[in-house]
Amino acid sequence: MSDLEALDNDIGDLRTKIANLQTHRANLSAILLSHPHLPARLQQRPVLHERNRREAAACAEKQSKRNTENVYRACAGITAFKVKDPDPYAVDNGNVLGVRIEVSIGGRFIETYSVLFNRPNTQYKNVLRIHKHTIPPCIPLQPLANKWLPMSTKDAENAPEQNLIRFGKSLRKELVGWHLRMEAIEKLRAEAGVLEKSKPTNEEPRRHTIGNVLNAFVSDEESDEDDEDEDEDRNQADRPVRIASIDADAAGREITVTWTDQRIGIFKVAKDGSIDKAIVKDRYGSRDSALSRKAIGRMEGLVQRLTA
Amino acid sequence: MAPNTKASVPDYKNIPHAHRVPVNHREVQRIFSKLSRQSLISLALQWLAKKNRDFCRPYLLGDEDTEEEEEEEDEQYTPAQSLEELQEIYKQLAARKGGKREVQDRILEGDWRKGISMYQLATADIQYLLDHTNSLRWTAKRLARVPAKSASLDMEVTNDSDHLPRFQAQTFMANLARELTPLMKAHYLLTKIKTLPMTILRVYMHDSPYSTEASLATETSSSESAKAVFFIWPNGSPFVYSSIANHLGQGIGDDSRHLRDIVQQAIPKAFSRPSARYQLAGTNFTTKSLEALLNYRGSGKSNSAAGGWNVFQDHSFSQNALDFITSQNEKSPTRTHTTASGQSSKAATTTSGRPAKHTLDLSESSDSKRRREVAEGRFGTSALPGDGKGLERFEVRIDDAFPQLSRSESHAADENNTRPANHDRRKGRPSLLDRSLEEIEELEDGESWVPDVRVVFQGSHVFAGVRQLVEQGVVNGETMPGWMTGEAGVTVAAVKDGRIKTKKGHVLGV
Repeated sequence: MSDLEALDNDIGDLRTKIANLQTHRANLSAILLSHPHLPARLQQRPVLHERNRREAAACAEKQSKRNTENVYRACAGITAFKVKDPDPYAVDNGNVLGVRIEVSIGGRFIETYSVLFNRPNTQYKNVLRIHKHTIPPCIPLQPLANKWLPMSTKDAENAPEQNLIRFGKSLRKELVGWHLRMEAIEKLRAEAGVLEKSKPTNEEPRRHTIGNVLNAFVSDEESDEDDEDEDEDRNQADRPVRIASIDADAAGREITVTWTDQRIGIFKVAKDGSIDKAIVKDRYGSRDSALSRKAIGRMEGLVQRLTA
Repeated sequence: MAPNTKASVPDYKNIPHAHRVPVNHREVQRIFSKLSRQSLISLALQWLAKKNRDFCRPYLLGDEDTEEEEEEEDEQYTPAQSLEELQEIYKQLAARKGGKREVQDRILEGDWRKGISMYQLATADIQYLLDHTNSLRWTAKRLARVPAKSASLDMEVTNDSDHLPRFQAQTFMANLARELTPLMKAHYLLTKIKTLPMTILRVYMHDSPYSTEASLATETSSSESAKAVFFIWPNGSPFVYSSIANHLGQGIGDDSRHLRDIVQQAIPKAFSRPSARYQLAGTNFTTKSLEALLNYRGSGKSNSAAGGWNVFQDHSFSQNALDFITSQNEKSPTRTHTTASGQSSKAATTTSGRPAKHTLDLSESSDSKRRREVAEGRFGTSALPGDGKGLERFEVRIDDAFPQLSRSESHAADENNTRPANHDRRKGRPSLLDRSLEEIEELEDGESWVPDVRVVFQGSHVFAGVRQLVEQGVVNGETMPGWMTGEAGVTVAAVKDGRIKTKKGHVLGV
């Protein structure tokens, strides 16, 4: 048994080693292929087989194309590209214009979003319509499109004014703002020490459990809950009050902070990441206006301001 | 315990969590007999947790002295001394193996012999739903803003504008209860799911003017119809999924459908605020799979990039902007598919679920390789068997004019009625695909004959099936219309000129 395990471990080690070496090799070959003088040298030097030369030149050209594309994408943030709709019945012969938005946070690119446009109107070739997109629904894509890319109404005589550049800019602003807010909330959690257990572990991936019941208050019946609550009170009197959880909605526009003494604070976040409305209530329902006032400000310092 | 009022008076209350139904009630028996041992134990432990105890009081030793001493002798389960002891018992049960009957009996005849509270019933039902995510049929709807008079103001995207309806659990529940209580009594359970990005509302409809325990126990309606409805909100999206919790072999009566509609109508009202009114709009999407729902109508990137377009949502089309490696990265995902020799080709064919004999046919390999590439081009990384996003039914109506020269129709026509299509239709609920009056009028004005042809695809994973047909050469992957790849992201649609028709002002899959 232990032999088998040892063998398995060895095999696993070897596999990771191979994978490491392969990435290293890929890295080195990318560096080699990006060498500026490579294509010229490939042309000049004699080679044994002409076919090898052609293949090498193709590799180098592919690499240089990729390099150019990546440089544009990394530096511009919004890039356009063309794709062909494989659907034989697609409008405009399947010509599709794609707009790609890169979101970078903390020195790395974390997500890429695309919006794909087609030209439904044969008369006005410049009128774009959103065909497909990968923008999450919490981003106001449709209002932005209505504003910057209006479609022609029936009786309009000339094409509506569309402004793809402004559309792209404002969409990118929304996307980046959303990512920054989510990032800031994650940081707040870390600061408060309530980091969610690093992603559900893989041991039981298919098992869903019921989370918080949100309407425990609907119960009309006055139950005699005091005895148990008193225990809790006594327990909690010993411990210092701290933040029990930080929740946020999917758009990162509303943060709910729960303390261990059952105070609840709800903070409205504007899109630029400033908290503009705040309310904190204790478990008996009375407002803590001092704490609410303290919460107004940038969302990054929220935990500091609340605990200070 | 609770003062048992003899007189029941019609009232305006909800059914509270703590009200109990007897263990031999039909709903209790039905729900509990379906749960697995593991789920039952985890539920019991949840009920015994401190925050839930008020709603799920078990039968303890202290409770037994009052009335029923005559039953003492045939008692199988001695009541536990305390809640802590019970928790211990269930933890032990969880640790060892055994049948599920053991746990079910212990819960129903032992620790909760006095009745299962509404809270327990609801959590058990939701647990079953989460264990079997394909058990119910869901319809996706969208909460759409009723356009205000000053539309231009609403459309503005500002620093603090909100385009999604705000979901505040407390406010929503209070509003919903206010809408519904005059019409029926109901028990609500609204809960967040830890592992899936969604919030579930279960409404147990109690068609009675009373909200007492006694009225819950009597089985009012003689029909076997379902009494609970589910609504799911995926976090951060404008969608609502609704479903009637009917169970295997249980019909959906008109009663429960009617009750569901009442709840459904109340939902947009509960979301609405002054100057922001919402209505539920259909999205032409019905499926049994919750995973598919989250994929097509969820909160992620996948809603409007279904079918082959999903290469844009993962990184198979656009690599990371700082990923400069062309040589390996490019080839490794495709190589397994494209190399025709030996091992890898065999692996690729077995994963795509095709019979293994095709690999022996080396003469065919270039052909089938091409077909596989075509399928990959049309479907991208979607429609793979076993990806859990299978739609089980896809229905389209072909609205093209009948071709002048008769050609053999390759599609299996489901119904082929002549033009005034509606008078000899079989009785039943109207389909979403029935032509509206305006559409019929429009057709009558035109000179060509447009028959009512409908194509229904049915199976465990419809688009994976189409993809396999393309790979095997049954369907020509290059001339196949786009809706057959599932890229429209609907399950019911009308097709004209090879494209899915969109209604006016209706945005597909947004």
